[in-house]
Amino acid sequence: MAVTLTNVFTKTSRDRWKSTVIGAVTLALLLVFGMAVYRDIDVSFWDDLPEVFRNMFGIPEGADVGGLAYGAIYSGYGALTMAAIAMAAGAVSIAGEEKNGTIGLLLGDPVSRTKVFLEKAASLVAVTAVGFLILWLAAVAAPIMLDVDIGSMNINALLVMMFINALFYGFMAMALGAWTGKTSIAIGVTSAVMVVSFIAAGLLPLIESVAGVAKVFPWYYFTSADPVSNGIDWGHFGILVGSAVVFSVVGVIGVNRRDLRGQSVGTKLIDRLRGNPLTHKAAERFAGTARVSHIWVKTASDHQGLLFVVSFVLFVMSVMIGPMYNMLDDTMKSLSEQFPEDLLSLFGGGDLGTPEGFYQVEMFGLVIPIGILAVTIAIGAAAMAGEEKRNTMGLLLSNPVRRSTVVAQNTWTMILYAIIAGVVSFLGVAVGSLVGTLGMDLVNVAAACTLATLLGLVFGGVALALGAATGRTSIAIYGSVGVAVLTYIANGFLPLNDNTEAWARLTPFHYYLSSDPLNNGMAWGHAAVLTGLFVIGVAVAVVLFNRRDLRTKG
Amino acid sequence: MNDSVAIHTAGLTKHYGDVQAVVDLDLDVQRGEIFGFLGPNGAGKTTTIRTLMDEIRPTSGSATIVGLDTHADSVEIRNHIGYIPGDLAMYPNLTGMDTITYFANLRGGVDWDYVNLLAERLEADLSRKVGDLSTGNRQKVGIIQAFMNRPEVLIMDEPSAGLDPLVQRTFQEMMKDVTSNGSTVFLSSHTLSEVQRVADRVGIIRSGHLVAVEGVQDLRSKAIRRVDLYFDGTVDAGVFEAVDGARDVEVRNHHVSLSFDGSMEELLRAASTHNTLMDISSQEADLEEIFLTYYRQEV
Repeated sequence: MAVTLTNVFTKTSRDRWKSTVIGAVTLALLLVFGMAVYRDIDVSFWDDLPEVFRNMFGIPEGADVGGLAYGAIYSGYGALTMAAIAMAAGAVSIAGEEKNGTIGLLLGDPVSRTKVFLEKAASLVAVTAVGFLILWLAAVAAPIMLDVDIGSMNINALLVMMFINALFYGFMAMALGAWTGKTSIAIGVTSAVMVVSFIAAGLLPLIESVAGVAKVFPWYYFTSADPVSNGIDWGHFGILVGSAVVFSVVGVIGVNRRDLRGQSVGTKLIDRLRGNPLTHKAAERFAGTARVSHIWVKTASDHQGLLFVVSFVLFVMSVMIGPMYNMLDDTMKSLSEQFPEDLLSLFGGGDLGTPEGFYQVEMFGLVIPIGILAVTIAIGAAAMAGEEKRNTMGLLLSNPVRRSTVVAQNTWTMILYAIIAGVVSFLGVAVGSLVGTLGMDLVNVAAACTLATLLGLVFGGVALALGAATGRTSIAIYGSVGVAVLTYIANGFLPLNDNTEAWARLTPFHYYLSSDPLNNGMAWGHAAVLTGLFVIGVAVAVVLFNRRDLRTKG
Repeated sequence: MNDSVAIHTAGLTKHYGDVQAVVDLDLDVQRGEIFGFLGPNGAGKTTTIRTLMDEIRPTSGSATIVGLDTHADSVEIRNHIGYIPGDLAMYPNLTGMDTITYFANLRGGVDWDYVNLLAERLEADLSRKVGDLSTGNRQKVGIIQAFMNRPEVLIMDEPSAGLDPLVQRTFQEMMKDVTSNGSTVFLSSHTLSEVQRVADRVGIIRSGHLVAVEGVQDLRSKAIRRVDLYFDGTVDAGVFEAVDGARDVEVRNHHVSLSFDGSMEELLRAASTHNTLMDISSQEADLEEIFLTYYRQEV
């Protein structure tokens, strides 16, 4: 163990390797799992699809079982997951030490800020490389284990580009964290760039008039040259590596130029308004005594920024999808007839030739659940585990408040916020349908949004229960996100194969979209199942939290 | 147990796996007293307090506060107590005033005049965010929230951490004031001088075991004194070593210093038979010295 504390590089690697290895092993297992499911179905129809469509999902021409598995799992979910893990590690490199108040102690030793930055950067590269080594081993072993011929697919090129792509976002977050000292800015900006560019790089090339705009988005340089088929495009490789180097330089300059942050929380606009005699009264009503009137109100206040961002993104995207459908209409309609119904479940299901189907694939399939889950899981994890991590739970519970009240009040906020995110999604889709004159049935849209809200609450309940049981935010967050990702993917794959179809019923996602609510309206039975799961999660949280010793920090 | 007991523990034990943090603790704290809970770092002070607060549950044994069970009646108990946890942490993005308001809301209200009085006394700035305060100033907010409801029992874990000496003195006066009004203070500390100044009784805990509970006065009276004697000529150490109760005799030219818990009359007799005694000073040993002398070997 002492070896791992030799220097900043080894200490950072020691702190960071777990999430990368867990992420990589999960993806490796999913690859094997996905390939096993694909092996048993006829996938020849892929060849009939237009090239643009295959590119959207990273599937090479002439692809068979292997191509589908690598395409869907590695270059889709895998690339996003690994980039997100690198981003999280990058964001806390410098800014995390400041947030923890350990940067002063670290720099009390004879190491320069530049050296700390560079060693942490090296650690980011090394740890990410270990993750990709695991992915590579699985990529080589899976076809052999399952006796699948992967033909001439260039797995090495795919993994190299995925690796560089992940480092791009890792270094971006690291540079932002080093420049500002704020993990929230590093994560917020980087994940926004990542998600927007992922979607743009997939969608824009499909629309001829704006296809060139895709080059503005970094994700384009990972996927557009189709590394699985064509090998590494060194120009694109150079752009991503060059950007990472630029980020490093920016980071080094950034951390050297400024005052280090203590654990100080900084002054926000609302603080200035409270300080100004003119605005004091109004600001006080909004941010002062009002936000501490009850536990649930304080929880709401703590998460209002996240809710605002998520609601904004969900609304804007939902509105945009409406007119976009009209642009794509003709291509999609001809495509939809060729699409086997089963396979659509992989992308959230839905007939792409109809507005309902398009909305299902583009918004309800992934984006809306991610948005709502982000809110509910954040609240669930912060409810008990977050309070314990900050060491404030003892003080909170020194007031005449039951532990179950703490759980209940946080649950109210979670429900309220999930409903708000659901309503905003509904409004976005409704406006999108209106703008695009799609004439969608709004009652059905409301049903789908209700199911999305309930789905979010199920995983918020998981985070709440895990946090209540362990008092650790990391377990609450990684556990609930892990369960969500696994069940999401399982729900996509299991219906592909008749033998495994029934197992999809074990995933919460089955009760979200399998009834096709945008066309069929509310599936009350499914809503009841999701509600039941949520209630179980909260009940488990109450029982477990009542039983255990509170944790102190750490 | 009668009504005069504020805090009572019976065989209170807490293990963390193999680690015995608190073992078989039997303790009674009387109403209206300041009870000092003393012990070195890691002795089990915080574990005891967290068990009293129902943050953690005893492995065995039980405890009551104002006659209510610390686990079964924990919510009701909190209507009667004020608490400052060790290593105090609060919500960094709230101001001191927000923090006080939050807890006041959870308690169903507070006397704001009293809060302002407390803040004035401690010279606390409640308008700044807790995250921007120094340790001592943050501690002041913690003290205010503990005192603000005029609790029957105050439970405080190392409450003076980070306070400057002037504020410490004010804080000690505040503790005396509330006990004179009938409240009870349970004060954990490793700062002996503080406990010595305010406490009526002291419990000493080492390695999870309560090794002694004594009145501060009793401790002092049984205690050693530090005596310095000054003569007009050189003296012989043997003369003093022969006196009953003398220890650690040191002679430097005309000056003798020794630890002493015997009869002062005998010591003076021995001193005056040889040389002319020019000056004498005698001080009470502090609890540190008493602690080291009497309790070091008990556990």
